[in-house]
Amino acid sequence: MTMSAQLPPGLQLEKVDERIMTLNVGPQHPGSGHMRIIVQIDGDYIVACDPDPGYVHRGEEKMAEYRNYITNIPHLERPVIHDSCNILYPYVLGAEELLGIEVPERAKYVRVIAAELNRCVYTLYWLAIYGIFLGHSTMFMWPSGDRELFIDLLEKLTGARVTHAYFIPGGVRNDMPANFEDVCLRQVRYFEKRIAEYSDIFYDNPILISRTANTGVLSRNDAIRLGTTGSVLRASGVDYDVRKKEPYDVYDSLDFETNVLKSGDSYARSKVPWLDMMESCRIIRDALSKMPKSGSVRTKLKPNPKGGDTSVYKRVESGRGALGCHIVSRKKPEPYRVKLSVGSFRNLIAMPYLLKGEKLGNMPSVYWSLNYWPVEADR
Amino acid sequence: MGTATGIIKALNSGVKHLARKRFTLRYPEQKLKFVGDGYRYDPVTGVGVAGLKGRHMLFHDHCTGCQLCSIACEGVAEAIAMVKVPETHKQNKKSIMPQIDYGKCVFCGLCVDACPFYALYMSNDYELSSFTKEGLIYTPAQLQVKPHVSQDAEIKITDRGATHG
Repeated sequence: MTMSAQLPPGLQLEKVDERIMTLNVGPQHPGSGHMRIIVQIDGDYIVACDPDPGYVHRGEEKMAEYRNYITNIPHLERPVIHDSCNILYPYVLGAEELLGIEVPERAKYVRVIAAELNRCVYTLYWLAIYGIFLGHSTMFMWPSGDRELFIDLLEKLTGARVTHAYFIPGGVRNDMPANFEDVCLRQVRYFEKRIAEYSDIFYDNPILISRTANTGVLSRNDAIRLGTTGSVLRASGVDYDVRKKEPYDVYDSLDFETNVLKSGDSYARSKVPWLDMMESCRIIRDALSKMPKSGSVRTKLKPNPKGGDTSVYKRVESGRGALGCHIVSRKKPEPYRVKLSVGSFRNLIAMPYLLKGEKLGNMPSVYWSLNYWPVEADR
Repeated sequence: MGTATGIIKALNSGVKHLARKRFTLRYPEQKLKFVGDGYRYDPVTGVGVAGLKGRHMLFHDHCTGCQLCSIACEGVAEAIAMVKVPETHKQNKKSIMPQIDYGKCVFCGLCVDACPFYALYMSNDYELSSFTKEGLIYTPAQLQVKPHVSQDAEIKITDRGATHG
């Protein structure tokens, strides 16, 4: 009897190949986030890769079963604190349908504006980390600084820099402050000029192109087959954006386009969120002009509202892709089940296929281009 | 575009920023200006008033000791405890008032939304750090004090970039 046979399953000794070395990147590594990537390398080339998420699982879905529809809000936005409006969006839309609440027209516009501002905050943070992953420290500083423009706007609007707890079933918590529209337009216009400068230093930079072009290529068919969403899917040439395909709130009345790139490599995946930010600015300007100038922003809720004996599924486009929320109600003030279907986890599935055959040095850029946020995927 | 031109263009776009003002808030000297005096809520209309969600303000003459803020916090952070206030102090019938533990509070403001008597607001004070855990617990008497804040820095946008003044 060999030693391996005596060990319990899961602890079996692996057969060691002399050529192949196994590397654990993470779970505490600046290049991995809160996850472990087990890579097997042959020299400088990755032979196999096994992403191992789950280190920051906090049981958000289980927690939601013990809290009512309102007190669920502060903890459900914790998975992505810098995209907290977008992660709350499907939950709030679903809760409204379950509880039968009408949302005032002005609140829908305010929600769209807050969600787009938040998308920019997320994307700039993501871009800053993408820059530092590639050793481009200017690209770390610029988005981190410009992110402050949007954080300042959201602070004025919601009262908190991150974790706004702003959306609520029935609208938003508070109306826009006085002259918010002017400040918002001024800062968004400045940002649009500023973001154009990113192309010179980053996206048109030959060093960046040589490092990211043709690495981690995800073909159109594979992108669909693996079920990726968001910027990863659009970078592979599939025109799919939940805001266009299944418009929620007032997105169908707003003027914007989706950005689709064909090449499907890391470069395209890093460029699509940047182009999306320009569209976000367009949406914000359009929503500010089309918004009703006065009116209520919140429908008053009854204390401890109860849903019917039914379930609801809502989807929105978050910074990382389609974000779904399935709420099951059983005539109680607490939801029976809340399931979040997040874009991060869907995009992670593509990672082993993309990294196979890549150089180890390209691992951070391919990994981060997947728009993956470990905390959101683990929930 | 050739490699050399691309690199020169990239360097040039960075060098241009040498002549620009920095977009850095010099924090302890400069503090950001916020909208209004903090987040408030109007129970009649059911809509809040925009403002920073900072340390709470408790108005003792309005507080009835109904515990609704504490109940609202139960599912969020369990930061609010109802404590006895001294008999000599101006008080409600039950003589209990909220005491807030800022080691637990997540500043969501749902307690403010729960208060039907205009007794609990939030203020612009966000500098709450303390050397001890006990220092983070604010008693009703401490929550009554209006914070002294001097916040006046704002984002200024000029032709030569954005600064904090």
